[in-house]
Amino acid sequence: MRKLTENILDKISIDYLRNQVLKNAYGNDDTAIAKLDPRVLLVWYLFFGLVPWFLDDVVLLLCLFLFVAATTKTARIAPLVLFLFCLGVFSQTGYLFVVALFFGGNTETIAPLLVMTLKVAVVSLASITVFSGLDPDRLANGLLWFGCPEQFSFSISFAYRILPVLMEEFQNILLSYRLRGNPPQNKTLMGKIRYLFYQIRMIIQSFYPLMLNTAKRSRTTVEALELRGYRYSVKDPEVKRMKLAMLKVTRSDILFIVLSAAWVGISAGISGLSNIL
Amino acid sequence: MNPGNKITQSQKMMIFVLSMSLYGLATLFTELIPSFQVGIVEFSVEYFLFIPLTLAMLFDPLSAALGAATGELVFSEIMLGQFGGLGELEKFLTVTIGVYLAGRLVKDPRKRGMVAFASIFGVTVQQLMGCIVDILKVQFAVEDFEAVAGLPESVFFTEGFACLNDILFSGILFCMLPAMYLVPKLYGKIEPLLGMKPRDEKTAFGGNAVSPKTVILCIVGFAAAVLAELLASGGYELIDWEAAWAGNTTSIIVAMIVAVIVILVAAGVIRNRASQTKKA
Repeated sequence: MRKLTENILDKISIDYLRNQVLKNAYGNDDTAIAKLDPRVLLVWYLFFGLVPWFLDDVVLLLCLFLFVAATTKTARIAPLVLFLFCLGVFSQTGYLFVVALFFGGNTETIAPLLVMTLKVAVVSLASITVFSGLDPDRLANGLLWFGCPEQFSFSISFAYRILPVLMEEFQNILLSYRLRGNPPQNKTLMGKIRYLFYQIRMIIQSFYPLMLNTAKRSRTTVEALELRGYRYSVKDPEVKRMKLAMLKVTRSDILFIVLSAAWVGISAGISGLSNIL
Repeated sequence: MNPGNKITQSQKMMIFVLSMSLYGLATLFTELIPSFQVGIVEFSVEYFLFIPLTLAMLFDPLSAALGAATGELVFSEIMLGQFGGLGELEKFLTVTIGVYLAGRLVKDPRKRGMVAFASIFGVTVQQLMGCIVDILKVQFAVEDFEAVAGLPESVFFTEGFACLNDILFSGILFCMLPAMYLVPKLYGKIEPLLGMKPRDEKTAFGGNAVSPKTVILCIVGFAAAVLAELLASGGYELIDWEAAWAGNTTSIIVAMIVAVIVILVAAGVIRNRASQTKKA
């Protein structure tokens, strides 16, 4: 258990996390996907996020999967995100499969589960492409254009800005607790369990100063927003029009749409052929 | 200055921002910490739900609940690219309802017993709703649910067990105990930082703890959550119904084109309605 806690603490060193998240958010705004219009991408996501649920054909789903995998590759997603995606998809269905076997299922249980896995994979890869591939500000603007509540698009922009600060602060508090603390012996089994609980308690205790500091910071943020007339600008259509004037559909957007449509058409054709044969 | 001790609009926004950033940070961590299993008992640090619970007990519950749900959506789903579209609505609504109810229950944050009861109640509400939705989801998403050998039992078993496990393990360890520790400790210290008076009997919101209106609203919210989740993962009856003609290529292509047109029209409608409400 000590090995496990050490292992976890190694993997998620907070610096590594921060780098990955930042890289994911701001590191790849020169990719082909990031240059596309966010509105186009959101409509594209609406298609690839909804249609797979209604499909049943393994060939067609595989084709769609290949396509969204290609777009994910183009968007140069951070490895951490991809790892989480794989973990999520396979742990979910894999676990279900094992338990189904336990309850007297057989290999036929695989087929429906495979279809379900494919669906989940297509939908999540499409969402990774759109939501991780895009610059947060562009994403927020795209959502705003579709009439998303202002508070939500504000939250997205704000979250990306505040996260590195918060992570650093949390790390500092945690380190100071660790410096002052006296961890229990972790040789015996009881000691290991006590050590684990000690760690958990430390994390929870460090939220006390973090909450107070964040409260101060959020007051500063909101006051700064109010000074700039945030709540009035949110209601004013003129401000919104100015904010969204930067969004333009270019030739590459049209190319992207045509390419997607062609691919979907061809894969539908292939699956139709395979059904006939 | 503020005799009724009313919460102003900007203070609500402060609570929203506070709850969003803290809970967002915590869910980002839980998303990254792998869960480990001892036998079939899964020990996962599922929720740092104590953060929004604490805030909801100290401040305006609705802002804290909405902030927490938004924070989870933005930090751990959108930022890590795990946004599941409509399906996320379910989590959003259940977290909001659970945290809101727990926050409404507490009249005096200094009473540890009350805090403990409210936090475990909030977790139970949230987990139970999530569990029901999950079972329904698999039931609709996998065709011939009953026909696949062993699947129904396994789903009921895993979901029920996960739910119980979450309530007992995460609920007590990560919600009840931390809330019991943090709420009385923060009481009176954190409110002045946002320019408010601490909550007492007079400023506990709306008199009685949980009014019938709240309950009805919560039920409607839960129904919406179930519906959203089913819409996100369902659609099987539709396919069965169409199966007679859906086999050939032309119909699939036609269906695709129809889907594209529907999506474009939907986008246009959303856009129009948004601009209309802005004008109104």
